[in-house]
This record gives sequence, structure tokens and C-alpha cells, in this order.
Amino acid sequence: MATYDFIFSSLGLEEWCSSSHSDAPMSMAALLAKAKGGEVEQSLWDLPFPSMDALNESCAAFPQSRELTKGLEQGFLAIKDSLSVVLDPITQPLSWALDGTLYTMVTTPWWIVIPVLLALVFFVTKSWKHVFFVAISFIGLAFIDYYVYAMQTLAIIFVCAFLCVLLGIPIGIGMARSDLMQRLTIPVLDMLQTLPPFVYLIPLIFLFSVTESKLYGIAIILYAIVPVIRLTNLGIRLVDEDVIEAADAFGMTPRQKLFKVQIPLALPNIMAGVNQTIMMSLAMVVIASLVSAPGLGVLVLRGIRSLELGVGLVSGLGIVILAVILDRVTKASLARINATQKQ
Amino acid sequence: MRKLKSAALLCALVIPAMAQADCGEVSITEMNWASNTVVTNVAKFIMEQGYGCDVTVVPSDTVPAVTSVAENGEPDIVTELWLNSAGEAYLRLEEEGKIERLGKVLTPGGVEGWWIPTYLAEAHPELTTIEGIMANPELVNNQFNNCPSGWGCRVVNDNLIRALNLEKSGIKVFNHGSGETLATSMASAVQNNESWFGYYWGPTVPLGKLDMTRVKLGDYKPEVHKKNQTADAKNPGVSEFPAATILTSVTTDFKDREPEVAEMLSKLTFKTDTMSSLLAWMDSNNATGEEAAVHFLSNNSDEWSTWLNDSARGKLAAILSN
Repeated sequence: MATYDFIFSSLGLEEWCSSSHSDAPMSMAALLAKAKGGEVEQSLWDLPFPSMDALNESCAAFPQSRELTKGLEQGFLAIKDSLSVVLDPITQPLSWALDGTLYTMVTTPWWIVIPVLLALVFFVTKSWKHVFFVAISFIGLAFIDYYVYAMQTLAIIFVCAFLCVLLGIPIGIGMARSDLMQRLTIPVLDMLQTLPPFVYLIPLIFLFSVTESKLYGIAIILYAIVPVIRLTNLGIRLVDEDVIEAADAFGMTPRQKLFKVQIPLALPNIMAGVNQTIMMSLAMVVIASLVSAPGLGVLVLRGIRSLELGVGLVSGLGIVILAVILDRVTKASLARINATQKQ
Repeated sequence: MRKLKSAALLCALVIPAMAQADCGEVSITEMNWASNTVVTNVAKFIMEQGYGCDVTVVPSDTVPAVTSVAENGEPDIVTELWLNSAGEAYLRLEEEGKIERLGKVLTPGGVEGWWIPTYLAEAHPELTTIEGIMANPELVNNQFNNCPSGWGCRVVNDNLIRALNLEKSGIKVFNHGSGETLATSMASAVQNNESWFGYYWGPTVPLGKLDMTRVKLGDYKPEVHKKNQTADAKNPGVSEFPAATILTSVTTDFKDREPEVAEMLSKLTFKTDTMSSLLAWMDSNNATGEEAAVHFLSNNSDEWSTWLNDSARGKLAAILSN
């Protein structure tokens, strides 16, 4: 006899309940209770919440809560095939981009890759100090034989951050121009930011083949795209009303206003968003390695799994160095943009 | 008077607890895979109900558990310790006398190997040997699913791959990032009737649920396999995986403290087949490890009764007979 028998008997559902005999697995508590001999006086203190499992004890036909998760799983598996028919071709370019960049960065000899990267640093920062710092860092990583791993990590970040910017800035502009779109997008962004990354990895693993690189690409992009969208939206909305009024007075079309006034004035905010996006994609590197992303994250995981403390520490330090490089370089270019705007 | 009353009440509360806890506090690991939750729950139930221990279950994993024993002497019992993945750290602990192996928890032991789905083996019988696979790499999608980095099997596989010259035959090695993706890639390939070729081990839920056929790598050669277990071994050879030794180990301190419980744990052995069918039952009933333990205890009394001493057998039989 269970606590909630009276509900089913008062509703006259006893027949329905006894119609299906439950042979559900028995829990240890149930086994011990049975051993103690059926009728145990239950105090109010031990009253169980009328949950699905508690109701199932009174009425075998009532589903247990595990049926709910089972049902969800089956529902997801049923729509999985049609979902992947749509999603697979759309996301395929991401796999190509990741595989292509990884291949290029790793197979091109180091004496080409490092100078090209340094030239890139000089081009965006125009500062020899930064070039020197980056050169020292890369040479240090290469000297301790972490060059290939660092390049793999860097390649993944380049592709993912680039795609985040490519997708995020238009979405941010759309949000800035339409209040309705802002209202619809913000809850999604909030959700992406608060969901622990592992939670959306679960359905992704089922949707895409785990051996394809887009799986970790999507995971990184979903996590890292949020700041660039938010800050683009904010930057454009913060552009001075007076400036917009002046632009209107000159008879600018909305398109001219966007490209010649709003985006240039919002650029510092947008660049701050880009900086944050790059940093967040770096933060995902270790988690992405759980779904087979190559790079320094693999070494961190190896360090944890086989307790190779040294490997874990050095690769962790490598990630920190990459983070500092990316942060300094993007901040320096941000400072340059700010300086040109003040003139 | 009032003080006396409350003291008496306290005694009344404490004495039954003390009477039951004639074996004291015991901590036992629970690793994050299915067969281990069953083993741990069975052991916990027997220790609590049969021997009156106060059992704490510590969620853990092989390497962290061994390290914790080395550094803190806790937890007391490590069940289902795969000797090949615990590695040298464990053997060193045994030499130092901190830990002691009580017995094999699974007989004949775990199965490791390279697998393909059975329907693929039936359609192309030549794929059941590694030579056949290397001659027809396109039948297995030109891909070998390898262990994640940091696992014991990864070292062995990498050496085997070099010894076989697997990549020369047109098979690309895909290194998984975690055991989860390795399992999902196998499960989704089998569900879609696609081909799959890779490493897996048992008894596990995926191997219990999916119908897989082992690929023959040749004979088991102990000295070659031993050499393959060191990373980047010189001249690696080809050898089949032996049955993996899976142990129950306790700290020496615990063995001195609770000889009776240690005696029981040394006899606590599951047949590999029994464990496989338990895992299959767990999956088809959507059951937890605890429920599987109850299922095992209520249906296999002939197996567990041989593990216990007389008083514990009597206590458990009283609980489980009705």
C-alpha cells in the first residue's frame, strides 16, 4: 500500500491501474521496505511529493518519470533524421573551412607561418612592441615542441571567430534597427550565455557525425557569438541622436546612414565585441577537445586523464600565452581605431 | 532530571546505530561506467546489510582513485580497477605496500579489441581479420576510430597502427576526444546500418546492446603486447589484446581493520557473461545501477551466497527471500 492510493480509489480508477501490471525494476529502498514486512506506519514527516514515481507506486498504470526521458529520447531520435537532412548541408562549409585552415596552418612550414602571422600583427597594431612579444611567444612555444598544437588551436579560433563576426555583426545590426527583432533575439542570447556548453553538446553529438569537425565548430560558435551580437547592437543604439538627425538633414538614405555614420561610430564597441568573442572561443578550446577538436585542449585533457602534471601545466600555459597574444593584439587595434576616431 | 532524560534519549538513539556498525566506516569508489555502478551497489548492499558497515560511495575514475589512495590512503576500496589503464602508478603502490589486490572482480576479465558491426561481418566475411580490412579499406569508410589521448589503449593502438602500417593501406586514424564520442560514433553508425571500425572494450552498455564482431589481429603474444604498452615503442609488433585484468583492491590499512569484509570482497567475482546480460537488462529496462544490483541480488542468490560468511548469508537471505 502506498501513500497516494486514495487518489486513484476516490477517482474510481482502480480498474485502470490494475489493468497493467508493473514489472518495473525495484530500487534498493523498495527492496528493504519489502523485507521489513509490508505495512510500515508512515509519519507526515516522510510524506513523499506526489511525483510520477510516487504515483506509480499506487497505480501501476501511471507512467514513471523515466518514461518521460525515454519518450523525449525517442521523440528526438525520430525527428533527428529529418533535422540532419536540413542541417547537414547548411553546416558543411564549416567543416570544409575548419579542415582547410587546419591543414594549411599545420602543413605550411613554420618559417612561412610565423613571419606571416607577425606581419598580420604589425598590420593591425602598427606596433613593434607587439610584434616582438608575439615573436617571442611563438618561438618559445615552437622551442618546446608545442608549435603544431598551438597552430591547430589558433586555426580553430581564426575560423570560428571569423564566422562569429560574419554572422554576429549582421544580426546585431538587425537587432539595432528593429525593436521586435531585439525582443526576439535577446532571450536566445541569454540562453546561449547561461547554458553550460555541455548541455548543447548532447543533441549536437546525436545530430552530426562526431568524426566531423563541424561538431566542435558549432559548439564554439554558439558559445562565442553572443558578445559580438550584443555589442554591435549596443554600439549602434548608442550613436548620438544628434548625429543621426544631422545625417537625416543631409538627406542620407538609411543604407548610407548605416554604413557611413552608424557603423563607423559604433566601431569601438563592435571591436570590443570581437575581442570578447575571440577570448570566448579560446575558452571553449578544452571543452571542444572532448568532441575531438585538435590542439592544446587535447594535451590538457591528456594531462588530466593520465595525471601528467607537466603536460597539463605547459599546455595550459600555452593556452594562456595564446590568449594574451590575441587579447593584446585586438586591444591594440581597438586603441588605434579609437585614436583615429578622436581626430 | 531533564538533562538525564535527554542523555538517555541520546543513548537510545546512538546504541542501535553502534550495534549495527560493528564494521565501522568504509569508503568505496564508484567509477563513471555502467558495470562499475552495478559492482559498487552490490558490494555496498552486502557490506551494509550483511556486515553492518557504514558505507560511503565516492564517485571517481581510475586514475584519480589510484592517486587519491597514494596521497591520502582513501578511499578504502577500489572496485573494477582495470589494471592496464591504472598503469605503473598502481603497481608502484602495490610495491610500497599501500594497496593490495584482493581478486579479480570479473572472470575471465574484460574484453578489449578492434570491432566491426556484425551485419558488416556477415556481408563481407573477409573483414573479420585485420588483413581483410587492410585489403578493403573502403568497406570500413577508410576510417579507424581510435581511443582518446591519455587512455592506456591509445598507446597500444598507436603502436599497433605503426606495426601494421595501417595508414599505408588507406585507412585514416580518427582520434576521438572522449569516450563519449567514441561510443556515440559506434552507436549511431550501427543504428543507421553504416560501417564502423574501431577500438572498444567490454563489458560495457554499448557492447552489450550493439551486435559487434571482433576483428582478429592475430595471436596474443605476451612480450609483444608488453612492448606495445610503452608509448612510441621501438619496433612495435602485432599482437591480439589479452583478456584485461580487472581487480578489486583495498588499502592495506583497510585489510587489517576489516579482515572479514576484505575476505568477502576477495570472493566477490562476477562472470563476464553475467555482467554482460545484466548490462543488457539495465538498458532494456532503462534501469539504474542500483536497480540492476537489486535485480542481480534477487535472482542470482547461488552466485552471491558463496561470497559471504555464515552470519552475513543469513542476514541477506532474510531480506532477499521474500
